[in-house]
Amino acid sequence: MSPARARRSRAAAGAGRTAAADRSQLDEVVRTARIVVCCGSGGVGKTSTAAALAVRAAEQGRRTCVLTIDPARRLAQALGLDLLSNTPSPVEKGLRGSGSLDAMMLDMRRTFDELIERYARDQEQADRILANRFYQRVSSTLAGTQEYMAMEKLYELHESRRWELLVVDTPPTRSALDFLDAPDNLNELLDARMFRLLIAPAQRIGRGYLRGLNLATTAMARMVRRLTGSELLAEVGEFFAAFEGMYEGFRSRAQRVYDLLKDPGTQFVVVATPDAPALREAAYLASRLAADRMPIGALVVNRVHQAGQVPAVPAAATARLAAGSDDARLLADLLAQHQTLEALAAAEQRRVRALMASLPSLPAVQVPLLADDVHDLPGLRRLGSRLFA
Amino acid sequence: MTRMLNELLDRARLLVVTGKGGTGKTTVAGALAMAAARRGRRTLVLEVEGRQGLAALFGHPSLGYRETMVAEGVMGLAVDPEESLREYLGRYGAAPLARLLSWARLTRFITAAAPGLGDILLVGKVWEATTRQRQTTRAAPAPGRTGGALSAPPVNTPSSYYDLVVLDAPPTGRIVPFLRAPETVAELARVGPIRHQAERVRELLDDPALTRMVLVCLPEELPVTETLESASLLRAARLPLGPVVANRISADRLGARGGRLAALAREPEPLAEAARQAGAELDGKALATLIGEARDQRRRVEAERRLLRELRAGLPELPVVELPLLLDGVNGAADVATLAERLTDDPTPRADRVRA
Repeated sequence: MSPARARRSRAAAGAGRTAAADRSQLDEVVRTARIVVCCGSGGVGKTSTAAALAVRAAEQGRRTCVLTIDPARRLAQALGLDLLSNTPSPVEKGLRGSGSLDAMMLDMRRTFDELIERYARDQEQADRILANRFYQRVSSTLAGTQEYMAMEKLYELHESRRWELLVVDTPPTRSALDFLDAPDNLNELLDARMFRLLIAPAQRIGRGYLRGLNLATTAMARMVRRLTGSELLAEVGEFFAAFEGMYEGFRSRAQRVYDLLKDPGTQFVVVATPDAPALREAAYLASRLAADRMPIGALVVNRVHQAGQVPAVPAAATARLAAGSDDARLLADLLAQHQTLEALAAAEQRRVRALMASLPSLPAVQVPLLADDVHDLPGLRRLGSRLFA
Repeated sequence: MTRMLNELLDRARLLVVTGKGGTGKTTVAGALAMAAARRGRRTLVLEVEGRQGLAALFGHPSLGYRETMVAEGVMGLAVDPEESLREYLGRYGAAPLARLLSWARLTRFITAAAPGLGDILLVGKVWEATTRQRQTTRAAPAPGRTGGALSAPPVNTPSSYYDLVVLDAPPTGRIVPFLRAPETVAELARVGPIRHQAERVRELLDDPALTRMVLVCLPEELPVTETLESASLLRAARLPLGPVVANRISADRLGARGGRLAALAREPEPLAEAARQAGAELDGKALATLIGEARDQRRRVEAERRLLRELRAGLPELPVVELPLLLDGVNGAADVATLAERLTDDPTPRADRVRA
C-alpha cells in the first residue's frame, strides 16, 4: 500500500492511531518513496534523521543516496563523506544487507557553476559568467541560493536514475521552507527584464507616460552606483548580458524541480524536537507543505524525554530518606531527579500531542533522547531502531 | 566568572548577542537586557531579523518599529529589514519602480546588487539607538521613533537615552559581514555621509569599553565547534569579545556521588535497604529504573562537561557563563527573569573547574 493510501485508510478508520502504526508508516516511506526530503528548523537533528532513514533503506536492500548540507564533523567522517567532490561516494564500511548507500555533501558554489555550464551556449559564455564578480557574489551569498542548489542537486541525482531512493536534508533557513520559494526567487533575480529597467531605462522605455518611472530607475541606478561603485554596476550589466538566452533554460529547470517535489514518489519528513519553537516551526511547515500540495510522509520528533514507571513515594518517606544515611539521601535525589524527568516528559507530551491533534492524518514518530551524540553507523542504526517498527 | 558579566551589564553600551541558529540567542539577549534593567540601567533590546522572536519570548503582542516596554525597565524594538530597506528606497524615489515590479522583487534585486545596503540600515539603527541622547527640553524621555542622526555627541554621557542596547544579532555565520557592512561600503565611498557614518559605527563597535560580542552556545558538538570558529572570526575582524553563554545546561543533582551508580546498578541492595527503612515501597524494578535514569543523566552531564571543557580550553581568556535548561522551555517574562538572575548570580556548581 502506498503511504498516501495507507494514511487515507487510517484516517478513515479514525481513532486507530498508535505509535507502532506510525512507525510502520515511516518504514513504508523508506521502502516505497523515491525521494525523502527532511525539513525542520535548525538544530533538531535533520541530518542524523536523514542519515538514519538512508541507512535503513540501504540495509533493507535499496540503492540509496543521502545528500547532506552541513553534517557534524564526526557524522561526515562516519559516512566517509568526500567534502571536495560534490558527487556521491559509497559508504562502504560496516553497511549490512544487499543494498547500497552513497553519501555526499552539497557544495553550493560548485552546483551553481555546474548549472551555468549546463545551460551556457558554449564554454566561452560559461567562462564569462563564472568569472563575473556579480555572479560570484550572487552564487554564494544570495539568500535562497543554498536552498535552491540543494533542490537542483537532488534533481540532477534523480535524473541520473542511479538510485532507488534519495534522501536529502534541507539547509537551516530562517523560514524552513525557503527552499520551496527559492527557485522562484532566483528566477526573478535572473530575469533580465528587471535589470534592463533598472540600468538602462532610457533606451528601453522611451514613452512619455513612463517618464516618472525613468526618473525613478535612474535614481536607483545612481544609488546602487554610489553604494557599490560603478565598476560593480558594470559587472552586473555584463552578467546579465552574458546570461542572455539562458533564462528560459533556468526557468523550465526550476519548474521541473518544483514538479519533482510535488510528485507522489516524493515524501517530506518534518523533523522537530519537543521544544515549543521547533514544534511551532513544524506546524508551520506542515501547513505550508499541505497548502502547496506537497506529499508529507511523517513527523519525526527527536530528543523526547521519557520517564520510566516508578511508584509514588509518600512525602513522609521522602522526608525520612532526605534526612537519612548517604544511601538514603542518594535515593532521595534519584527520586527527585525522576520526578523532574517525569514533569519534563509530561510537558513535552502535552506540546507534541497538541501538534499531533492539529495534524490528525500525519504519522508521528517520537525518538527518545539518546545519551550519546549519533556519529557512526551503529549510532544511526540505534536511531533507526527508534524510528521504525 | 560573573564578575566580568556584571561589569559589562553596568558599563557596556552595546552587547551584540550572536550564536549558531537554535542556540537561544533571543532568549539570552532578553535575559541580558532584563539583568541590566534590574541593575538599574535603561535598556533596549533590539532584533533585526524580522522574526518577532522577542515578542514570543516576552509573551507580548508583536513588536514594531516603535519602542515598546516588554518587561520592567526593558524596552523592545523589532526592526524589520525589508521594511527599513523599503523606507530607504522610498526616500530615493523608488516608489514608481516598486509599483511596476513589486517591492518584494525590487528589494530582492537591490539586495543582490548592493548586498550590504540592508545591513547598513540595520547597523545604522543599532548605532542610533546606542548613541541617542535625551532631549534636554523634556523631563523624562518618551520612548519613540527618532531619526538616524549622524551628528550625535560622543557616547557614554549621562544624557544618553539608553544606558545599554542589547542586540539580538544575526547568527554567527553572518555576524561579521553584518557588523562590517558599513565599512565594506565605505571602502568604495571615500568621502561623504556613508563614509562618515561608517567611521562612527566603527568607533562604537571596536571599543571594548563600549561594545562586546556575546556568543551563545549549547553543550553539543556542532554548536561548540561553531562557537570556537566564530570567536576567531570575530577576533580577526577586531570586534571585542565578551563572555560566552553556554545555554541549556543539564542539571547535575548527584555531582561526585554519580560515580557510585555503576556499582549500585550491579548491586542495588544498599538502596533497597534505605528504601525499606524509610518506608518507601520501591521494588527492584523501580530501583533499576531510578538508577538507569540517573546513569543516562550522568552520561549526558559528562558529555556536556567534556564539551564545555573543550569550549573553555579553546577560549581561555573568555568567561563562560552557564544557563540551566528550563524544563518547560522559556515562556514569558517570568522565565526570562529567572535566567537573568542566573546570569548575574551564577550559582551553578562547577565541579569541572574545581578539578581543573
